[in-house]
Amino acid sequence: MESSVLEWLGVEIIGVMSPVSICMFLVVLLVYSLSSPSTTATTIATAANLVYAENPSDTAAQKLEGAVLNAVVFIVFIALATFLLVLLYYYNCTAFLLHYTRFSTFFVLAAMGGSILLSLLERFSVPLDAVTSFLLLFNFAVVGVLSVFAGGGLPILLRQCYTVCLGIIVAAWFTKLPEWTTWTVLVALALYDLVAVLAPGGPLKLLVELESSRNEELPALVYEARPTVNTRNHAAAVGFIVAGVSDSETSRIELQVVSRVNSNNNNNLSSNNDNGENGINDEWERSPLVGGMRFGEVVVDEGMSPLVEMSGVGENEEEGEGVRRKIGERGIKFGLGDFVFYSVLVGRAAMYDLMTVYACYLAIISGLGCTLILLSMCRKALPALPISIALGVLFYFLTRLLMEPFIVGTATNLMMF
Amino acid sequence: MEAQSQSNNPNPNPNPNPNPNPNPNPNPHRNNSVASSMPLWPTIDGPLGLSEEESVGYARRFYTFGFALLPLLWAVNCFYFWPVLRHSHSFPRIRPYVVGSAIGFAVCATLLSSWSLTFAIGGERLFGPVWDQLVMYNLADRLGLTGWS
Repeated sequence: MESSVLEWLGVEIIGVMSPVSICMFLVVLLVYSLSSPSTTATTIATAANLVYAENPSDTAAQKLEGAVLNAVVFIVFIALATFLLVLLYYYNCTAFLLHYTRFSTFFVLAAMGGSILLSLLERFSVPLDAVTSFLLLFNFAVVGVLSVFAGGGLPILLRQCYTVCLGIIVAAWFTKLPEWTTWTVLVALALYDLVAVLAPGGPLKLLVELESSRNEELPALVYEARPTVNTRNHAAAVGFIVAGVSDSETSRIELQVVSRVNSNNNNNLSSNNDNGENGINDEWERSPLVGGMRFGEVVVDEGMSPLVEMSGVGENEEEGEGVRRKIGERGIKFGLGDFVFYSVLVGRAAMYDLMTVYACYLAIISGLGCTLILLSMCRKALPALPISIALGVLFYFLTRLLMEPFIVGTATNLMMF
Repeated sequence: MEAQSQSNNPNPNPNPNPNPNPNPNPNPHRNNSVASSMPLWPTIDGPLGLSEEESVGYARRFYTFGFALLPLLWAVNCFYFWPVLRHSHSFPRIRPYVVGSAIGFAVCATLLSSWSLTFAIGGERLFGPVWDQLVMYNLADRLGLTGWS
């Protein structure tokens, strides 16, 4: 019995950590392959740096102050968007939420993914023609939207792959933020996630309670690690679900704000650029706003289990359906925001050194393990960001400030390696 | 309630059994060659996927959508209903759509690959100055779409 429980638990943990690791690994690959030595950083105006555009010539105090202001404004936007999401869900606007999430997914895959594709083609000088590029991108985006929201008409493996792709694309865009702003935004997001999920009256907690009371699935971008094993002997061992809630409404507010900023930019640059180029730039500048802010939280869906079991008692058809539903409900779900911000952390570390990448990766995986352990003990909603982000940031700065000088010093003096 | 719970207790044990009703024991399932050639589920997700009734509608829908410049959807259709495609005599109502998707994807992939390889290998010698205008990284530079890197 013990060996079987350990086997099942290992499978579950691998099911959660594999996609997170793949997402982080691919973001690091992207950052390495696309970061040119001549960093002519055209800072893209996003919601994360509305207030202060970081400049290398600024002093540390100015950078810190501006970065903190950026983080505060960003968190306010996310909080407002999440409360708007709660209101929409409360007043039964689920269809609107579903359509908006589909649009966000298409925009992330087509526009942001297309931009990354073009950068890769240019970087490696791949002679792909325009027709083929358009066809590939169109197919990729449409199949992505269908797989994430088609409600079971497509393979689970495909849905998992596309969820990881979404995380990779959004995280790659977020690595374009300046350095100080990235760190303050990550820390602020971890704190916000902690408050939003655990505090009474927190928006994500309200969403989870609403979803549980209605027994209606909220249209959200979540990664479901459901194994495709036909028989699950230990399905009833641990009945916890990690559900993610996406607040696509953030894009709406931010788009409005950014359009104002862009209008100012257009006034400034009207003498230099054509109108078409301005339009294109506006479109690309809006891109990182879409789908960038999604949160993960841990939910124990205890209300579902007895209902499913009750429905299981009955005729054969109902029993079979109940069993299928139970199997479908089991498994760990992760919000897409976890993928994004874990990968942003590792991608930012990749811009400095590979040593910091290893340290951050191990810290994030350890934090994820701690969250899972807490989840199995608490059996209620838990945020997935705080522990991993805290450990990741801590290990990054410890490695950068303490470990690297030590190792470089010993290597230079031939005391090590 | 207690009586119901008592009756509930033995139910989880036989719950996995009703699913493979034609094969009550896993051992005969392995030995029986006739049973192994007839898959129980039409999708690769097995019991987590669609039932046969739902699969017919989905297969037809995705086969139809594939004609809207979406050959990747045909490939996904073949991948999802791989048991139907693999076993030639199973699920006669689903199979025409899956085979049609396979043929469509093969044709589209062949055409697109031929065009792309011709464009990539032939290059400027074959297409002349038009090649420079059609190649994607030059086009991206001209349209100003490379703001990310």
